[in-house]
Amino acid sequence: MRLPRFNYLGPNTLEQALAFLSTYRDGAKILAGGTDLLVRMKKGLLTPKTLISLKGLDELAYIRQDKKDGKNGNDCVLIGSKTPIADIIASDLVQQQAPALSQACERIGAITLQHFAGTMGGNILQDNRCQHYNQSQFHRSGRGACHKDGGKICYARQDSDRCNSTCQSDGATALMALDASITLSTKNGERQVDLADFYTNDGIQPFAIEHDELLTQIRIPVQGGKSAYQRLSYRSAIDYPLVCAGVLLIPSISLPTQIGEARIVVGAMGRSPLYMAAASASLKGKTFDDTAAFQKAAKASMDTAAAFAVHNVGSTLEYRCAMAEEMVLQALIEAGKAARATQ
Amino acid sequence: MEKIEITLRINEITYQVRVLPNDTLLEVLRDKLDLTGSKEGCDEGVCGSCTVHMDGKPVRSCLTLALEAQDTQIKTVEGLATGDTLSGLQQSFIDHGAVQCGFCTPGMLMSADALLATTPRPDERTIRQGLAGNICRCTGYAKIVTAVAHAGNSQDHCPDCLTQTPDPNARSGSKPNQ
Repeated sequence: MRLPRFNYLGPNTLEQALAFLSTYRDGAKILAGGTDLLVRMKKGLLTPKTLISLKGLDELAYIRQDKKDGKNGNDCVLIGSKTPIADIIASDLVQQQAPALSQACERIGAITLQHFAGTMGGNILQDNRCQHYNQSQFHRSGRGACHKDGGKICYARQDSDRCNSTCQSDGATALMALDASITLSTKNGERQVDLADFYTNDGIQPFAIEHDELLTQIRIPVQGGKSAYQRLSYRSAIDYPLVCAGVLLIPSISLPTQIGEARIVVGAMGRSPLYMAAASASLKGKTFDDTAAFQKAAKASMDTAAAFAVHNVGSTLEYRCAMAEEMVLQALIEAGKAARATQ
Repeated sequence: MEKIEITLRINEITYQVRVLPNDTLLEVLRDKLDLTGSKEGCDEGVCGSCTVHMDGKPVRSCLTLALEAQDTQIKTVEGLATGDTLSGLQQSFIDHGAVQCGFCTPGMLMSADALLATTPRPDERTIRQGLAGNICRCTGYAKIVTAVAHAGNSQDHCPDCLTQTPDPNARSGSKPNQ
């Protein structure tokens, strides 16, 4: 498959990249690693006139701890959007402060896709997928276009009036569990958005990002909790998750043996990673080895997530829903175990 | 869209090529430079048969723009052997029968070579993880894993395999090579 033709721009500074972005706007796409973008271009799903490459922007590849800037006055871990996945896996800081992200990154692609190609920002901004949409041009030409392809049909859910594509990002699921926020920069300034508020719930345009905005930084608040990530896929490498779960358990300040705050996020089930508010709240005040409470929360997560799931990423819906419960439970048990180990 | 003249450093040789922005490294290697060792399988980053090294790290050449491969040291499967002498890893693939149709082999070799550079004596789990991004559709991975594990043995008949006592319960990966 040949790539469609495009103009290539290789800015050397962030300023230059943002200036290009504001000039070309929706005619241009950002090329970070290309593992998502180039594949979609090869399949004819996307034909941008211009690609703005981030290859020269090493200023966006860093992992560091910051003391002042965190949410609620906490420390935070800052990750540049162009940081290769391999660097995140190798980072002791991420391993210690955000193990869920470390575990999620290990499962992204394969070793061959983690060095130069896969970047943290690219993983968050990978487009939603659907087995009816992410097909070759030839395959798609044999039938009417679906919503995401510019038509009016949904092959995943009959008579659906909207696109039901699924967000299968490992990184975003883990980061949302870690309560991360992201920085979007334009030529004229920047804004910070909670990752949970970054999604539009629209399968066609899943992210609330403007054409001239560039994702530059990811912030993970350090809250003294333990996190874990679990995912299910056909193949241990390369494959996108069929269902995944990220959890964060923060000990209570007054009673460190109890859970003060929990965050459960289920990924690859809906148009965005799904934060399980009720299930997370139910864990407050429970101990870190309360398996019965974990089971209840996992069951509640499955019940909530199942409402969003559509049969469009492989495997059966029944199996994915059943496994959603299992993934949440395993992640909770793992995070609970890690929390008890430090007590 | 005009062709752009770029310089690529491949297997210690410098090449000047004129490429379009949408030429991938794989297309340039195979179609312009006649380095046809790297194979085009899926062309979307799933199969791993196009794996080459950039600065010592394995990458998918089908998902790398040729333009973006400038200023790096590229190594393809042609660069593994020294003249007519095969590398230990290549010889081991032959000795252990780790090649069937051979299409995945260049990718397997490049992934394994990168793994051995960081982990000289990997265990089976590490090898399987290192090769997880490469697909073999002929038969299986047992002989490939054995070949990588015994890559350091330069003999024709691998001493590690000959001294092992056959275990009837073992999977074929640990059986001696006969």
